[in-house]
Amino acid sequence: MTQPSSRNAGASEAVEAMAEPIVREIHIDATPNTVFGFFTEADKLTRWLASEATLDPRPGGVCHQVHPGEDRSSGPYHMRGEFVEVSPPERVVFTWGFTNPDVGVPPGSSVVEVTLLPEDGGTRLRLVHRDLPAAAIEDHAGGWTTMLDRLAAAVAAAREDA
Amino acid sequence: MQAVLDAVVEPRRREILRLVRRDELAAGAIAANFGDVSRPAISQHLRVLRDAGLLVERRAGTRRLYRARPEGFGELRAFLEEFWDTRLEALRHEAEREQRSKDRDTTEQPERRSQRGGRGNG
Repeated sequence: MTQPSSRNAGASEAVEAMAEPIVREIHIDATPNTVFGFFTEADKLTRWLASEATLDPRPGGVCHQVHPGEDRSSGPYHMRGEFVEVSPPERVVFTWGFTNPDVGVPPGSSVVEVTLLPEDGGTRLRLVHRDLPAAAIEDHAGGWTTMLDRLAAAVAAAREDA
Repeated sequence: MQAVLDAVVEPRRREILRLVRRDELAAGAIAANFGDVSRPAISQHLRVLRDAGLLVERRAGTRRLYRARPEGFGELRAFLEEFWDTRLEALRHEAEREQRSKDRDTTEQPERRSQRGGRGNG
């Protein structure tokens, strides 16, 4: 079942950039302003996403979150991100990655973009999680190879830290 | 995910994944690419990759054939999709509760309405 590919490595970067992000949308019966605080204020973020948080909501500011594990054998997971864009009340962007190598998403490696738009007196929340290592699974020339190397380097670095 | 990460940390295992990314290859053909590695060592690498779900093994007579299984990485994606669904549902619940509380404050004590908006934004 060998099929010679007509595509080659030249387009690998473009293909990788196109790798599909995770996209989630939800309607919330609260104003964008109210929802926004749940991403930028630690006492609110810990009500839905993390058990502890250190947030400095401005570009380049820390966005650290501690996530409890699903069971006794795993976690806690340390999300060490950075705010990229903070535009209340409609947009907040932060990097997303964990110091725990077993998560497979090292710090700085992926990005979460949240957009909040008014809708029916409430908010339409759109969350886009892009640049995931797993996003490069498509069978194209360069992405698979590049992703493996990146992942391995990140794991090795994280283990040296530990 | 631990097995996946362990599997790809070893450079020879990454090389094996590249070899079988498009072509299904027999163990012998894979081993032939590694002059400096013993056949049992290659078998061990193949086993680690297979157990991590990154390699599919198929028997054809006495031969074992291998090809890459990139879906192995898709498990992380599935995990994150479920993670965000669960978390966003929790966010909806909390944000709506917060909104009701704000609205109640506003109705009962309109003069305090602007208190929360008083933070400076440096």
